[in-house]
Amino acid sequence: MSAGILSVHARPGRSATVILSWFLFAAGITLYIFTATARHRENPEERVMPTLVQMTQGMYNAAMQPAEDDAPSSEDVTQAPSVARRFLNSMLWKDTVATGRRFLYSMALLLPAVILGLHMGLFPYVGAFFLRFVLFFDKIVALSLLPILFIAFGIDELSKIMLIVIGVTPTILLDTFNLTRGVPPEQVVKAFTLGANDFDVAYRVVLKQIWPRVLNSIRLNLKSVMLFLFAGEMIASTDGLAYRIALLRRHMGMDVIIPYVLWVALLLFLVDLSMRWINHSLHPWFKES
Amino acid sequence: MSRIFIALIFLLTSGVSFAQKPTFTVGWSIYAGWTPYYYLNQSGILKKWADKYGIAIKVQRFDYAPSLDAFVAKNIDAVTMTNMEALDMPAASGVPTTAILIGDYSNGNDALLVRNGIALKDLAGKKLLLVQKTVSEYLLDRAMAINGLRDELKKVRLVNTSDADIATAFLSDTNTAATVTWKPMVSQILKQKGITSLFDSSKIPGEILDLTVVRSEVLDRPDGSGQKLAKALAGAWYELMSQMSATGPGTDKVLSAIAAGSQDTLASYKEQLSTTKMFYTPQSAADFGNSPDLKGKMALVRTFCFEHGLLGSNVASADDVAISYPDGSIQGKKDRVRLRFVSTYMQLAAQGKL
Repeated sequence: MSAGILSVHARPGRSATVILSWFLFAAGITLYIFTATARHRENPEERVMPTLVQMTQGMYNAAMQPAEDDAPSSEDVTQAPSVARRFLNSMLWKDTVATGRRFLYSMALLLPAVILGLHMGLFPYVGAFFLRFVLFFDKIVALSLLPILFIAFGIDELSKIMLIVIGVTPTILLDTFNLTRGVPPEQVVKAFTLGANDFDVAYRVVLKQIWPRVLNSIRLNLKSVMLFLFAGEMIASTDGLAYRIALLRRHMGMDVIIPYVLWVALLLFLVDLSMRWINHSLHPWFKES
Repeated sequence: MSRIFIALIFLLTSGVSFAQKPTFTVGWSIYAGWTPYYYLNQSGILKKWADKYGIAIKVQRFDYAPSLDAFVAKNIDAVTMTNMEALDMPAASGVPTTAILIGDYSNGNDALLVRNGIALKDLAGKKLLLVQKTVSEYLLDRAMAINGLRDELKKVRLVNTSDADIATAFLSDTNTAATVTWKPMVSQILKQKGITSLFDSSKIPGEILDLTVVRSEVLDRPDGSGQKLAKALAGAWYELMSQMSATGPGTDKVLSAIAAGSQDTLASYKEQLSTTKMFYTPQSAADFGNSPDLKGKMALVRTFCFEHGLLGSNVASADDVAISYPDGSIQGKKDRVRLRFVSTYMQLAAQGKL
């Protein structure tokens, strides 16, 4: 069978797969370097597209030096601290911790949404009470409600976390609801005939089998979580990764912004990867990805 | 939608003009001293002057930050910005820039507002909302320095807040003690009871300048088309300035037409103009540009920019981003002039030679 390389039956070899899957990365990086070099030749002080050297330097400074706004007093400089210590005092680490903390809080607040979604799907009265409202609430563009959020939650941490919760919770809620509804009713009936009570059915029959899909759904919403978090930090903040990016934009500090963006992507990728790994080891029977 | 509209206009105009006219784009953003560009375009005044010099000038409205980005990326040829951003954005990014028109200076438009009548010396440890690394932070810096409280500055808890949300954020969160922002937000916030202004830009006159700048590379084009752009802009600008400052029934009509450019009312626009020191005559603008005062004020601004790292992380001294003045003097290294103030075009307008 002489299937062309574009046919459904094509079977790329191992090396072809590797090369193809990295091709766009290489093309993107090459294009960037090429353009950046050309722009720097024309204007040595170019800041919009920094060179790799500048970005490395920018990132090194970000990871090894404290942020300017909390520069330590000059006495600290005399003793040279270890690399790890310097990293823990750095701007990058401080921003990552601030953003990471908000991220974890909001992830934790997604759990009640899962439980509520389960109950909505299983208990008709709970469903009747919440469903219409959540469906409506889901369509609200959270960002446009900011002034109300400020009044209700102040301009500190809480308003940023609530922005994420309001933005992402309805999606998770409705998804859990749908997954719960998707569990074959025969199973529920069967569980009852075997002597299960409401609690058993909800948590030991239904939740147990939708859980991997719920985790997946949370995983796919990581980007929305991050988007709302960034929006919140850019609007009013004193620290965080997006705060730094917003500040650096004011004077075209692209040599730090680009590595920061890549750093965020890397962190998100790692969270995603670990969630996939947890999902896989908790539910080895679950084969969808 | 507006992009399609602009594309359409572009298609239409390019179809009409068979001869290849040099075409330039001017960007502006909403601010009392810049909104006149909306009317310049709308009323045909700009077109009249562009035609006189045989060029075409397109006018486009931006948000402030994107207008700076577009200028630095060389997507537009001229733009409105403050003296501080002219120094720390294009000039510090290696895009030599020339200020051709000094439109006005902020004379109360930017203000430091506080809740419950607290004093400047009480700000330490309190939360203050502002857009960091902008003229707002400069104003705060100056307010503290003038009152001998510069050491306290580090203790103020600055919260970087987007200008779109700063008014609601400050008004709704009573834990915030102070804010530094500009009009129209200042007017909006001051309407609330218990909020007072501690310091405003009228106490540092001429330090926050609103300019029209052109990329030096465009201005110095060998075919002279950049010069024509500067002359056409100056001619059109001062024609409108004389209309805005005239006394008579027509003035209000012009002012409301300008106010419409920012969806504003005549009353509100007039209120903003009252705290904007417009240079209505080209002579007054040129005089300001030629005065030694300008150098002193720019010295303060460039020191601030350098101390806050706004000139870039690899700039060793403020002298690396040098500024030249109409009298030929240079602030900084002679071979690194990145920002030029010229009074040529204001002068030509004053002499009626445009």
